[in-house]
Amino acid sequence: MARATLVVFLYALLSAFATGLGALPFLFLRRLDPKALAAANSIASGLMLGASFGLLREGAHFGTSQTVVGAALGVAFILVGEKVLEGREVSFGKLTGAGARRILLLIAVMTLHSFSEGVAVGVSFGGGATLGTLIALAIAVHNIPEGLAISAVMRPRGSSVLACAAWSVFSSLPQPLMAVPAFLFVESFRPVLPYGLGFAAGAMVFMVFLELLPEAYVNAGRSAVALWVSMTLGAMILLQRFL
Amino acid sequence: MIPQEPVLALLLYSGLAAAVTALGALPFALGRPPGRGLVGLADALAGGLMLGAAYLLVGRGLDEGVWPVLGGAALGVVYTWWIRGYAGLQDLDEGSVAGPERGYKLILRNGLHSASEGVAIGVAMVLDPRLGVFVALALGVHNVGEGVSLTDALVGERVPAGQAAGLCVASKVSQPLLALAAFAVAPSLAGLLAAGLGFAAGALLFLVLTELVPDAYERAPALGVALAVSGTAGGVVLLEALLL
Repeated sequence: MARATLVVFLYALLSAFATGLGALPFLFLRRLDPKALAAANSIASGLMLGASFGLLREGAHFGTSQTVVGAALGVAFILVGEKVLEGREVSFGKLTGAGARRILLLIAVMTLHSFSEGVAVGVSFGGGATLGTLIALAIAVHNIPEGLAISAVMRPRGSSVLACAAWSVFSSLPQPLMAVPAFLFVESFRPVLPYGLGFAAGAMVFMVFLELLPEAYVNAGRSAVALWVSMTLGAMILLQRFL
Repeated sequence: MIPQEPVLALLLYSGLAAAVTALGALPFALGRPPGRGLVGLADALAGGLMLGAAYLLVGRGLDEGVWPVLGGAALGVVYTWWIRGYAGLQDLDEGSVAGPERGYKLILRNGLHSASEGVAIGVAMVLDPRLGVFVALALGVHNVGEGVSLTDALVGERVPAGQAAGLCVASKVSQPLLALAAFAVAPSLAGLLAAGLGFAAGALLFLVLTELVPDAYERAPALGVALAVSGTAGGVVLLEALLL
C-alpha cells in the first residue's frame, strides 16, 4: 500500500511538472504586438474551453446535475475574486492594474482546477493501476496546454519565460497533493469529484468570456479570433480523445 | 407532445422555433424598445444557447465516431468563415454600410446563420427525436433573442416594428428547410450523421464567436455577457441531462 501510494504521488508530481513545458514556445517570442496578443488570448481561450469540454464530459460520468452545480460555484468564485481584487492595488511583478488582476485570477483558477485533477488521478488509480497510469499520462499531456494558456497570458505582459514556467508548475502542484488522499480514500472522494470537475469548467468558461475574449476582439478581427479559438478547441478535443 | 412521425415532429418544432422569432419584435411594437445593454444581453443569451447546443451535438457525435465529427466540425468552421467573407458580412461589424444595404446584409446574415442551425436540428432529430425537439426548442428561445437584436437594427434603419417581425420570421425560414434537408440526407451514408453533427457544432461555434458574442460585447458590459453566456450554456447542459 505504501509503495502504491508513492507511485501515485510520483505520477501526479511528474504530470505537474509537465505544465512547465507549456512555457517553452515563448522562448522564441519576445515583445508581442497587439495582434499577437489577441492571438495569444484566443489560443488561451480555445485551450480553456477545450479543457472545460473534457471536464464537463468527465463530470457527467459521475452526475451532470452535480457538475453543473459545481460550475455555478466556479462562476461565483470568479465573481467574488474579481470583487475582492477590484478595490485593491494589485501588482504582479512589475505589472499593475487590470493585467495583474487577470494574471492573478488565471493562476488562481488554474491552481484550484488542479485540485480536481489531482482527485481525478487519485480516484482513477484507486480504480485499477492501468487506468490510473493512462489518466496520469493524459493529465501530464493536458497540463502542457494549461502551461501554454498561463504563459500566453503572462508572457505578452512582460513576464520572463522562467516565471511563466515556474507559475505553470506551481498551478499544478495541488495535483500530487490531492492525488494521494483521493487514492487512499477513493470512496469518500468519488462523490465530490463531479462538483470539483464542474467547478473548474465553470470558472474557466467564465474567465474566457469575462477577461480573455473581450480583449482579443479589441485587438484583432472577429474572424481571426474565431479561427484561433476553434482550431485550439478542436485540437484539445482531439488530444483528450486519444490520450 | 412529440408526434410519432419524426418528420412531423421536425416540421412542427423547427417551424415553431422559426415563428417565435417574431416575439423579439414585440417590445418594439408595444412602444417599449429595450435599451442597448438589454439588446447586448439578448445577443449573449442567444450565443449561450447555441454554445450549449454545440456542446451537446459534439458530445453525441463523439460517441458515433471521432474523425467524422472533427472533420465535419472543421468543415463547418471553414464554410462559415468563407461565406462570411464571400457575402461581405464583416462590413456589418465595421459599420461601413448603412441604409438599404445594411438591411439586406442583416437579413442575409440571419438567413445564413439560421441555415446552419437548421442542420443542427435535422441531424439531432436523426440521432434521437427527443434530442431534436430539445435542440429545436433551445434554438427557438435563442431565436427570440436574435429577433430582439435584428428588430433593434432594422428599427434603427426606420423599418416599422410590424414589418421587422415579418422579416425576422422570413430570415428564419432557412431553419426548417435545412432541418428537413439534413434530416433526409444524414442517414443515407455511414459516417454522414457524425459528420453532420460535427458540421453543425463547428458552424454554431464559429457563429457565436463572429456574430453573437462580439455583438454583445459592443452593447453590454463584459460581466453581463459572460454571465448570460455561461448561465444559458450551463442551463442547456443541465436541462438535457434532466429531461433526456
